[in-house]
Amino acid sequence: MLEVKKISKSYGNHLAVDQLSFKVEKGEIFGLLGENGAGKTTTFRIIMGLLEANSGTVTLDGKKIDYSVTDRIGFVTEERSLLTKLTVKDQIVYYGILKGMPEEEILKRLDTWLEKFGITEYKNRKIKELSKGNQQKIQFIAGVINTPELLILDEPFSGLDPINVKMFQEAILEMKERGCSIIFSSHQMEHIELFCEKLVILVHGQVVLGGYLKDIKKEYRKKNIFIQGDISVEKIKKVSGVVDVISNAEEYQVKIESDEVVDSVFQAVSKSKIRKFVVEEASLNEIFIEKVGESYDK
Amino acid sequence: MTSKFWFLAKQSLNKKIKTKWFALANLLLAVVIIGLLNLDSIIHFFGGDFSSDIQIVLLDKTGNSEDVFRPSLALAEESFGLERKIIVNVSSQSLDELKEDLKESDKIGVVLERDSAHYLKAAVISNQKIDTLSYQTIIQALNTSKTQIAMRDADIAPEELEKIMSNISIDRIILDDDAKSEDEAMSLIMGTVFPTLILPFFMLVVFLVQMIGTEINEEKSTRSMEIIISNVSPKTHFFSKVLASNAFVLIQGILLFLYSGIGILIKMSSNVGSSSDFTGQISSIWDSLSQSGIMNRLPVIIPATLILMILSFIAYSLIAGILASMTVNMEDFQQIQTPIMMICLLGYYLSIMAGMFDGSIFIRVLSYVPLLSCLLTPALLVIGQIGVIDVGISILLLILLIYFMTKYGLKIYKVGILNYSTDKMWKRLWKAARVKE
Repeated sequence: MLEVKKISKSYGNHLAVDQLSFKVEKGEIFGLLGENGAGKTTTFRIIMGLLEANSGTVTLDGKKIDYSVTDRIGFVTEERSLLTKLTVKDQIVYYGILKGMPEEEILKRLDTWLEKFGITEYKNRKIKELSKGNQQKIQFIAGVINTPELLILDEPFSGLDPINVKMFQEAILEMKERGCSIIFSSHQMEHIELFCEKLVILVHGQVVLGGYLKDIKKEYRKKNIFIQGDISVEKIKKVSGVVDVISNAEEYQVKIESDEVVDSVFQAVSKSKIRKFVVEEASLNEIFIEKVGESYDK
Repeated sequence: MTSKFWFLAKQSLNKKIKTKWFALANLLLAVVIIGLLNLDSIIHFFGGDFSSDIQIVLLDKTGNSEDVFRPSLALAEESFGLERKIIVNVSSQSLDELKEDLKESDKIGVVLERDSAHYLKAAVISNQKIDTLSYQTIIQALNTSKTQIAMRDADIAPEELEKIMSNISIDRIILDDDAKSEDEAMSLIMGTVFPTLILPFFMLVVFLVQMIGTEINEEKSTRSMEIIISNVSPKTHFFSKVLASNAFVLIQGILLFLYSGIGILIKMSSNVGSSSDFTGQISSIWDSLSQSGIMNRLPVIIPATLILMILSFIAYSLIAGILASMTVNMEDFQQIQTPIMMICLLGYYLSIMAGMFDGSIFIRVLSYVPLLSCLLTPALLVIGQIGVIDVGISILLLILLIYFMTKYGLKIYKVGILNYSTDKMWKRLWKAARVKE
C-alpha cells in the first residue's frame, strides 16, 4: 500500500503541494487530477524520491521510498523519457537492468509486451524511427517491464488515438488484476471515470475534492436527464430545479438540481412522444467545473 | 547498487565506442597521423618538379676553381639534406652566350671569377626563381669554395685545411643536476618535441569534456534522466559518467599512440624516401636531449606528468559533469564548454611559451593552478625551471580541487540534473550551490 501523508513542497515562495494526503491500496487505481501547475508532477516526483518534500512522508508498505524499494515501482513520465538513439530492445534492457532485472528476463517480458501491443517488428528499430504512438507504447513497456507493485502514470493517454487508448486501458486493467497499485493523472475525465476508484483533485497544490469516485458522485446532488423525443425545451426550462437544457445531436441533456426534480421533469414531458428518459449522475468534468470553476478537459 | 554503477559506466562507454562515428573518427585519425608522419614519402610517391635533377652550368673564368667547387657542392648538398641530385656541367661559352642558353631553360648558371680583394666572386644566373633550399646549397658551396681558394692561396696544407674545416668537438657538462640547463637544445625540446607530446593530451581533454557533456545533456533533454535517477542515485550516475569518460580517453589515448607507433614503423621501414634520414633525425633529437641533461630527470618527469594528467582528466570530467548537469539544451552546453576549453588552451600556450620566459615567476605560480598544471608543470620541469617540491604542490592542489568538487559539486549535480529552469545558466548554478542538504 502506498501512503502519502501530509506532504508539502515549495519552490522559493511558491507552494507547489500543500499538506497532500492519500492512500492507494493494493490493486487499486487512483486518479490525480488538476490543471497544469496544480502540483501533480511534483507529487509524482516526491513519490519517486526525485524531489524531497519539505514536510510529510511517503511510504510503500510502511517503508520510506528510497533506492532500496524503487525496483518495485514503475514510472511513466508525461514526456517521452526515451533515449531515441537506442533500439527498442536496448532501451528496455537499459531501463530493466536499472530495475535490477536479469537481461534474459527482460527480453522474455519484452517479447510478451511487444506482442500484446502488436509491434514485435520494431524490437530492433531505433526509437527515433518510431511514430509518437509507438514511442509511447515503448515508454509504457519500460514502466511495466519489472511488473511493479506500484505504477505511476503521468498523462499516459495524451496524444494517443482511440485504438491505442483501448490497448493501454486493457494493459492498465491487467496490471490492476495482478495486484499492482496504480496512480495516474490524465487530462481526459472519461479515463479517470473509467478507471479510478479513488481520486483527488488538486488546485494550486491543495486538495479541493478527494475520496472514492462513487461517493463523490453520490454526494454531488446535481444529476443529468437524457431525453430523446419531441419535447418542448421551454416547458422543461420552466420546471423548478432545472438548471439548464442542452440540445445535443439526437437528444436533450437536462441538468437538474437534485433527484427530487426528476418527477417534475417527467411530468413535463410525459404527454410528448419520448423514446428515451434516462437519469444519470453528473460527470466528473461537471463536478470538476463546479469545484474548480473551469473545465478540466482542455 | 554496485552492479547498476558498472552497468551505467559500461553503457556510457559502449555508447561512445561501439558506434560507426567512433570507428570512422579513428580511421580518419589513423590516416591523418600515419600520413603526417610519412608526409615526405607520400609527396615523393606522387613526384613533382622537386624530384628532378638540378642542372648547373659552371663557367669557371678562374680556370682552376672547378676542382674546389665540385666537392664543396657535394658537402653542401649533404649538409642541407638536399634530395635532388645536382649535375654540374662545365661550359666554355662566353657570359652572353651562357645567358642566352639559360633563357627558356631550368638550368642554373654559376660563373666564377677571380677577385683581387675577396679572392673569388660569383654570379648565379637562372631564368626563373630558384627554390630556397637549392639556392642556399649553391651559396654554401660558393662560400666554402672561396675559403678553400683563399687557404690554398695562403699555401696551407690539405691536412691542415681539413682540420680547420672540421666541426668543433663539444663535450657538454652540467655540474649541478638541479641547475637549469643553458643548453640551446631546450629550444628544440620546447619548440618541437614538447608541443607534439602534449597536443594529444589537449585533444583528449576536448574529447572528455564533449563526451560527458553531450551524454548528460542528451539524458536531460530527452527526460530519460527522471527514469534513471528514480532508479540510481545522482552520485552513482555522476561517478559512472566520470569513470566512463576517463576510460574512453584512456582508450582513445592508447589508440593515438598506436597510430603514431604504426606511422613511425612505416616510415622507418619504408623504401620510399630516406629512412636512414629519419633514424638520423631521431638519434639527433636523442643526442640533443641527452646533452641537455633531461635524461637524468626522466624518473621525475614521467611519473609526475602521468600523475598530473590522470588527476587532471578526473578534474576536467568532474567539472564538465557538474556544469553539464545544469544545462537544458545544446546552447547551454556550448556555453559551459567554452570556458573549460579556454582554460585548457591557456595551459597549452603557456607550456609552449614557458621556454621563452626563463625564470618567470608568473608562469611558475600558474603552474601550481589546477587544470593548468597538467600542461604547464611538466613543461617547466623539462626545462629545469621547477623541482620536485613544485610538482608536489601542483599535485596537492589538484587533489584538493578534486576533493572539493566531489563534495560540493555533487550537491550542484543532484539539484542540476532534474532542474529544467529557464533562468540563465550561471544563475541556476549559483542557486543550486546554495541549496541546503
